[in-house]
Amino acid sequence: MTAHDITLHAPDDGIAEGAELLRVDDVTLRFGGVTAIEDVSFNINKGEIRAIIGPNGAGKTSMLNVINGFYHPQEGTITFRGEKRRAMKTYEAAASGIARTFQNVALFTGMSTLDNIMSGRSLKMNKSFLAQMIYFGPARDEEIEHRRKVEEIIDFLEIAHIRRQPVGKLPYGLQKRVELGRALALEPDLLLLDEPMAGMNLEEKEDMSRFIIEVNETFGTTIALIEHDMGVVMDLADRVVVLDYGKKIADGAPAEVQANQAVIDAYLGVPH
Amino acid sequence: MELLNEIFIEPFVLMADIPDLFVQTIWEGFVSGILYALIALGFVLIFKASGVFNFAQGIMVVFAALALVSLSQFMPAWIALILTIGIMALLAIGIERAVLRPLVGQDDAILLMATIGLTLFLQGVGETVFGGEPKAMVTEELGLPTGSTDWSPFEGWRVTLQHIDVAAVVIATLMVIGLAIFFSKTRIGRALRAVADDHTAALSVGISLNQIWAIVWFAAGIVALVTGIMWGARSDVSFALEVIALKALAVLILGGFTSIPGAIVGGLIIGIGEKVFEVYWGGIFGGGVEAWFAYVLALIFLLFRPQGLFGEKIIERV
Repeated sequence: MTAHDITLHAPDDGIAEGAELLRVDDVTLRFGGVTAIEDVSFNINKGEIRAIIGPNGAGKTSMLNVINGFYHPQEGTITFRGEKRRAMKTYEAAASGIARTFQNVALFTGMSTLDNIMSGRSLKMNKSFLAQMIYFGPARDEEIEHRRKVEEIIDFLEIAHIRRQPVGKLPYGLQKRVELGRALALEPDLLLLDEPMAGMNLEEKEDMSRFIIEVNETFGTTIALIEHDMGVVMDLADRVVVLDYGKKIADGAPAEVQANQAVIDAYLGVPH
Repeated sequence: MELLNEIFIEPFVLMADIPDLFVQTIWEGFVSGILYALIALGFVLIFKASGVFNFAQGIMVVFAALALVSLSQFMPAWIALILTIGIMALLAIGIERAVLRPLVGQDDAILLMATIGLTLFLQGVGETVFGGEPKAMVTEELGLPTGSTDWSPFEGWRVTLQHIDVAAVVIATLMVIGLAIFFSKTRIGRALRAVADDHTAALSVGISLNQIWAIVWFAAGIVALVTGIMWGARSDVSFALEVIALKALAVLILGGFTSIPGAIVGGLIIGIGEKVFEVYWGGIFGGGVEAWFAYVLALIFLLFRPQGLFGEKIIERV
């Protein structure tokens, strides 16, 4: 499939390319006595690929969980499309165009690839419960229309050959791809990827990188990703924010961050 | 010698001697098995979608049947039926709001205790509003058949089929097929399966857990209502039904907590098993075998195959 066949698009939210899409301000998240995130602020601009990096336990995944509403921070605010709030509900985050994938693939393992991705369309289906229950008339037309979009995603991710297979039995690399497909089915404005390349071999990483770039360029989706492979981060990301022990220690272009002494210390350790 | 004879020879001689009694026994076991399966189905629906072991499923059966019978005193049965469905919907929404939502993310044992509390609550409300004395099911008013037919496929056979039993089997079958289609074909069905698989992932695609929970409790309520009507028509509607619902626990242990086919097969095994055992081997124990057969079978299963016939094998990393 070539780029011009694709009808999937991030919603037109009236925010100009390069303007601020999401901002976190002074966010602090504690679990009992443990501070997972401490006073972190950064923003994500429309259309960019923003990487969040840091050593293990730096609070990267917690940050994503705050952005899409799994965790509610004790302090600070999140501003998405100019709307400021303390905490999102997961349901609202999804409804307002934030999709995500998980570090340890979280798929509906008993369902087929197709059904997994279809489930990502849940929010886009509006027909009444009753019509849905009896799968009748308009509800049926709606289902068919969504099916078309889902087939597009399946073609785009090159997973047509596994569309009927239960995802629990698929190899890890393909599961990650299905999970990306399910997130894309929301036609998200902002896509959060938690270690999309973890556990992949080189070829799979290259494929995944290609998909991420295409999603960003063709669909116009803004992407925030956590990744440990520095080569990938340097290639993909427009800007990088670095966390260490829950604090922000650097923020900027990849090359800048790479040369930052605090970042090098955080990764390699400092002599005491 | 006498005992061995009673265990291994006499029952089979009896089966061969009076084959129509054997067929009659199997049929009756089959019908009660179907009803056990329906109660177990209610458990499985809720357990799959929310991980809650719903101890209140038995009382929901009684509650639904009592509501229907009591309302029928004041209005035509079909209006009472619609109203009862409405009551079960309100109950589902109420349970989701008042019990499940405040306890989200709590330990399984806490949720189980909450459903035991719910059992007591429904029992109290049921007795206060509808009264504790047994009532007759409004079988005819609902258009369900009564009476019986003698079936003699061969010379000298006589198998009695209660019409209500035949209706119970047909309705239960239709309901299971309906649920299967609902689960596999509709968006809500897909969302239900998604929630059953992974709560976090379901949330991330914008599936509302609250809505789904209300829907499964409603579905379980409808299953309870149908079970209550059928069982009430065979005996009468009283709180004693709840004890029968406990047999569904044994069905679940046989069939596995997460499997709908398991609930059906488990129900049939227990229903048929206890009847056959009662009729042919009951004498050895002085009768009354039906009351404990299911639990002994469940105990044996717990020893040798704790995940049940169809349940997912639990593999834990150590």
